[in-house]
Amino acid sequence: AMAAAGLRRALGSLLLSVRLPALPRTPPLASPPCLLRGALAAACRGLAGSAPRCTTDPLWKCRVKYTVRPIGMKKTGGRDHTGRIRVRGIGGGHKRRYRMIDFQRLRYEEGAPAEPFTEKVINVRYDPCRSADIALVAGGNRKRWIIATENMQPGDIIKNSSHIGRMAVSANEGDAYPLGALPVGTLICNLESHPGKGAQYIRAAGTCGVLLRKVNGTAIVQLPSKRHMQVLETCVATVGRVSNVDHNKRVIGKAGRNRWLGKRPHTGLWHRKGGWAGRKIKPLPPMKSYVNLPRVTTQE
Amino acid sequence: LLQGVRQALWLTKTKVVEGLPPPVLSIIGNPAHQLDDYEERVKRAISHARFWNTTEVAPRREYYCPVLFEDLIHLCRLMSAKYPPLAKRMLARDYRIAATWERESILLQIRGLNGILMNSMAPIPPVASKEEILATKEHVLETFYPISPTIDLQEVNVYKELNDTGKSGCFRDGYPYSHPHTLFFLESANIRPNRFRPEQLRAKMLMFAFGNALAKAKAVYGNDPKVLEQPVVVQSIGTDGQLFQFMVFQLNTTDLVSSDGIKNLVWIDSDQNLYEKAQCVPEVKKRVVTKPAGIYGFQPDTFKKFLALYLHGTV
Repeated sequence: AMAAAGLRRALGSLLLSVRLPALPRTPPLASPPCLLRGALAAACRGLAGSAPRCTTDPLWKCRVKYTVRPIGMKKTGGRDHTGRIRVRGIGGGHKRRYRMIDFQRLRYEEGAPAEPFTEKVINVRYDPCRSADIALVAGGNRKRWIIATENMQPGDIIKNSSHIGRMAVSANEGDAYPLGALPVGTLICNLESHPGKGAQYIRAAGTCGVLLRKVNGTAIVQLPSKRHMQVLETCVATVGRVSNVDHNKRVIGKAGRNRWLGKRPHTGLWHRKGGWAGRKIKPLPPMKSYVNLPRVTTQE
Repeated sequence: LLQGVRQALWLTKTKVVEGLPPPVLSIIGNPAHQLDDYEERVKRAISHARFWNTTEVAPRREYYCPVLFEDLIHLCRLMSAKYPPLAKRMLARDYRIAATWERESILLQIRGLNGILMNSMAPIPPVASKEEILATKEHVLETFYPISPTIDLQEVNVYKELNDTGKSGCFRDGYPYSHPHTLFFLESANIRPNRFRPEQLRAKMLMFAFGNALAKAKAVYGNDPKVLEQPVVVQSIGTDGQLFQFMVFQLNTTDLVSSDGIKNLVWIDSDQNLYEKAQCVPEVKKRVVTKPAGIYGFQPDTFKKFLALYLHGTV
């Protein structure tokens, strides 16, 4: 009974004050409760002895339904699920609320046909959780946050399409098209590696990739690190550079500003053989391919 | 509501007219309808609400907003010495409204707490003339592509289509004060994000005025969608203690399925300041009092409009 009460108290502090009906307890929540129960049992016992059990869980990430309202999030401080520091130099900083960003541009509403649709940009604002700005767009019956591109103003109309025609589309900035429909040489961002996965590449402020060439059903993109990437041409990317272009030109000015961003100071020890200084010249790594080509079997 | 008043206009099939309708303006202009020295009384009412109400130095909005409203209503009721029909009004608090209507194959409904309603025995006569009503036929409702007009509305499962004018205790047939006259909305939450912004407040006022008018029309004329010979008029006033929004809504038709034909009308007068600033503590710069405590920027016109909307219908 005590464990159940403790569990409910902890979950109650994490559940958001939501006007929506109660979330269904789906698989994302299946594994954390058993970890939390273990942690609470340890807490009840006073954490006596033994190796650290899972103490903190990213349970603030348990929201199933998408919402536009910002959610309070928990900072990890660089600690992983065992409680020890996994990444150094993270901790402190201003409190942030997370806005759920929809990286899958082609997400259709429920009950909407799978055809190209338009949305209107309502508001472009600063996001504390990333370097780029985010834009609130509305279309049909729903609103969502997406990563804003450069020159995106409130009141713009953007188009999302999954149709690949025979001719390349002259794309406007901010539209989302599959790579097969874009002309070679366009600047793109928010690229996905597999169709429908959601954008995972080229999301930082001011970055852009270049569509280099299109080869029978796949497209080759150059990432900002000059690495080449081969993806299926049905993968959707947005056109243009990511917003907040002057992000790398800003001057931090003082140590305090870094602390506000949540970065703790580095160690001052000089490592003689560190090899950090000097110009480095390396050949380009080989092209990364996310396409599973059928294996060509040689015939006798 | 994302687009504010424009979205509410589409949902209720209404055309908006800036400013207050001519009959109300004529009431304002008529000096016989004034209280003597009402300016002094209104200032006293504001001071009571903003300064003298509680023991704290600056009372919070959830205290001063209802107190101000009570005082203004009291001042209006003082006029009933001159006009006996004014006494035939009653106020209802925490009043629950339910109305459903169909709009281009989407079923919409309003439910919930309304605010404060004032009912009267006699209905308000229609404000717009017949020509204006017919002229709304040509007016095209504004749509906002690509945003659907039902954005930001909560989707619920409807099991019963309810249409009634209030808690079924008071407002059944045979109740003497059966006509909705004016709705009052007080935005009295303390924190700014909990209050409605003026645009959203106007949209909320419009939707509730429409809901009340529709429920009354359905009670009188039945559930069939048609054009009303005798339009139903409902007024509404919304405030957050300082800014006032006045609205007169006239329901001309309950035929809301299609987007053409005769539309309803609404007159909106927005963002009327009753006073600019109410200084609770005198502002002192370098040991010299620059601004003594008091009310600044008082505008008597706002109270005149308040009074006019109150008197409208009996005068």
